[in-house]
Amino acid sequence: MNINLAIAERARAGEALTVAEIDELGSSDILSLGMLADEVRRARVGESVTFTRVLEITGASGASGASGASGASGAEMRISKLPASLEDTEGLIAEGRMLAGPQLLTGFSLADIADRHWGKLVDILTRLKSAGLDAIVEAPVDRLHDAEDALKACEAADLPVRCLSLQSPINIDGRSSWLIHLRDLVMKFPKIDTVNPLSREQPVQMPTTGYEDVRAVALARLVLPSVKTIQVDWAQYGPKLAQVALTFGANDLDRVSTVDDESLGKRRTSVEDVKRNIAAAGFTPVERAAS
Amino acid sequence: MDLTAFENRIAHGGRLTAADALQLYRHAPTYWLGRMADEVRRRKHPENLVTYIIDRNVNYTNVCVARCNFCAFYREVGHSDGYVLGFEEIFRKIEETRELGGVQLLLQGGHNPDLPIAWYEDLFRAVKQQFPDFKLHALSPPEVIHLSRMSKLSVPEVIDRLIAAGLDSIPGGGAEILVDRVRKLLNCYHKATADEWLDVMRHAHRKGLRTTATMMYGTVETDEERLEHMLRLRDLQDETGGFTAFITWSFQPAHTELGAAHNIIEASGIEYLRTLAIARLVLDNFDNLQASWVTQGGKVGQLSLAFGANDMGSVMIEENVVRAAGAAYCMDEVEIVRNVEDAGFVAKRRNMHYDILGDPFFRAHEVKRTHALSTARDAGDNSVPAELVNYQARSAAGKKQRARPISPVS
Ligand code: SF4
Repeated sequence: MNINLAIAERARAGEALTVAEIDELGSSDILSLGMLADEVRRARVGESVTFTRVLEITGASGASGASGASGASGAEMRISKLPASLEDTEGLIAEGRMLAGPQLLTGFSLADIADRHWGKLVDILTRLKSAGLDAIVEAPVDRLHDAEDALKACEAADLPVRCLSLQSPINIDGRSSWLIHLRDLVMKFPKIDTVNPLSREQPVQMPTTGYEDVRAVALARLVLPSVKTIQVDWAQYGPKLAQVALTFGANDLDRVSTVDDESLGKRRTSVEDVKRNIAAAGFTPVERAAS
Repeated sequence: MDLTAFENRIAHGGRLTAADALQLYRHAPTYWLGRMADEVRRRKHPENLVTYIIDRNVNYTNVCVARCNFCAFYREVGHSDGYVLGFEEIFRKIEETRELGGVQLLLQGGHNPDLPIAWYEDLFRAVKQQFPDFKLHALSPPEVIHLSRMSKLSVPEVIDRLIAAGLDSIPGGGAEILVDRVRKLLNCYHKATADEWLDVMRHAHRKGLRTTATMMYGTVETDEERLEHMLRLRDLQDETGGFTAFITWSFQPAHTELGAAHNIIEASGIEYLRTLAIARLVLDNFDNLQASWVTQGGKVGQLSLAFGANDMGSVMIEENVVRAAGAAYCMDEVEIVRNVEDAGFVAKRRNMHYDILGDPFFRAHEVKRTHALSTARDAGDNSVPAELVNYQARSAAGKKQRARPISPVS
């Protein structure tokens, strides 16, 4: 194994690794790093993999794929795109609330909301909550001018953030300090138990590589001992990479489609597909409750 | 399972039996398989290189009488989407390929009853006349058998004539799973039985041609049959030493008769990595294993380099067969090299024989980036090459078409 055993031991024990230690861990060979992350993940969160079915709500007509909403019962309703005005956003949330009923209604990136400068962030978030929103989907920490302030505003508005995420790919020099920044944030906001370490953006000219992705997942698992859930976006990263990421420390798959085309047979439905991929990776699939 | 005993055996170059391989394939942890495969790869390639070839995958015709039920590419004789590429079109493709640093065509196609052996000979000669250094990696074993049946020549005679016309090497396509039970279920038994496929390769190797070997898994075969496939290849390699590389990929079920009839789902990324790794361990007499990024995508394609692969295959430029079944991944040379280097290897261009040709072409030449693979033809292009009138058609549709004035290729 090409891995520093002393650092590996500290990671196993959940100790706070330094930038230098994270750098060294990150330069281990990919299989050794993956094995360690897999071991740590099994010890911390067991052998189950959770997944969330999401029905995306896009606008006036309600749910995208509403025709396939037969599979939406029990799914999270999610508004991904932030409208241009606060009033339109409140309207869309109200519409989503009607659709969602008792099911979880989530929406938006915290960075998108902050970027609009509609007013004091805590006030805006309070209005979104009053309109019926249950939670903010994600806080892309690299895009937030002051992530700590923004997360405090969420706390003050009693509007939880489901996950800390990354907007743009991070280069190798900044990787360790970014992870330490994340670690500091989850210490300060212990209710946030989910991190999605794979970037939302994939530049066409230079998408992240498979090695980069699984290394990011493994390091997140090893550097963030208090984070229960390391998440990968099933819809964005696709079944192949998402499945492999499960063996590198991830234990949650987000954005599984609710649009099941059962005309092609039960095995071709999204839920069956995700369950099969989880089981084939050696884990037990468990759907996350969305109410 | 005593993994330590296997580790020792593999470390000392010991062979896996069918029973060993099955046990490991089914039960060994994925990371263990990866580590062992990586160890064997490093032993075979201590220089830390990962190679790739710049070539173009040209499908000269999609008209095919074989009708394999896993194939979304073929069209029946007389179908309005059926095509045959003209010599001029193929020359243009070669020119484009050379501009990107390409050194060969991977030329394969359907079993078209209206293309006699003379068409292939004339094409090969014409290519060699215009592009003497350009290599023809052409006609998989079932195509050779098809030509042998059509021309009533033996397989060795067909190979001799093709070599005389300019054939340089034979691609390992059409192997699917080299077990006749499976081949019958895939409706590809009649195009080539397992023995016939291997026999074409045996003859080719005896005549000094190098070839590759492939395996398409994830249809109706069992784990045992995948391993039987590998063991049959290993046996022939022991006998002739003529295979340069092994390439495996998962069946792409979209738009195929088999996928619909059996409700088949594509095998997962982890299954691919496990299959690749066990292949590295079983095929101990194969030097090179390619990563199939075309079917697995760039990310899992790159991860193949940790699971036994030492080669990124072809830069491709053009692809028609896998795309017809729903997969459309693309990596140009820049992207392939970036992936190789990111994984910690040195990227080198190679030819089909795995001779190193040099550093990445784009580093010394102005090359346009490409983010989508070309197709054999633009949509709606139904032109018929003028030279086809020179060759006798066998099918009624082909005869009728050739009796009409031809709409020439633009
Ligand atoms: S796989 Fe080849 S031989 Fe079989 S139907 Fe398709 S084109 Fe024809």
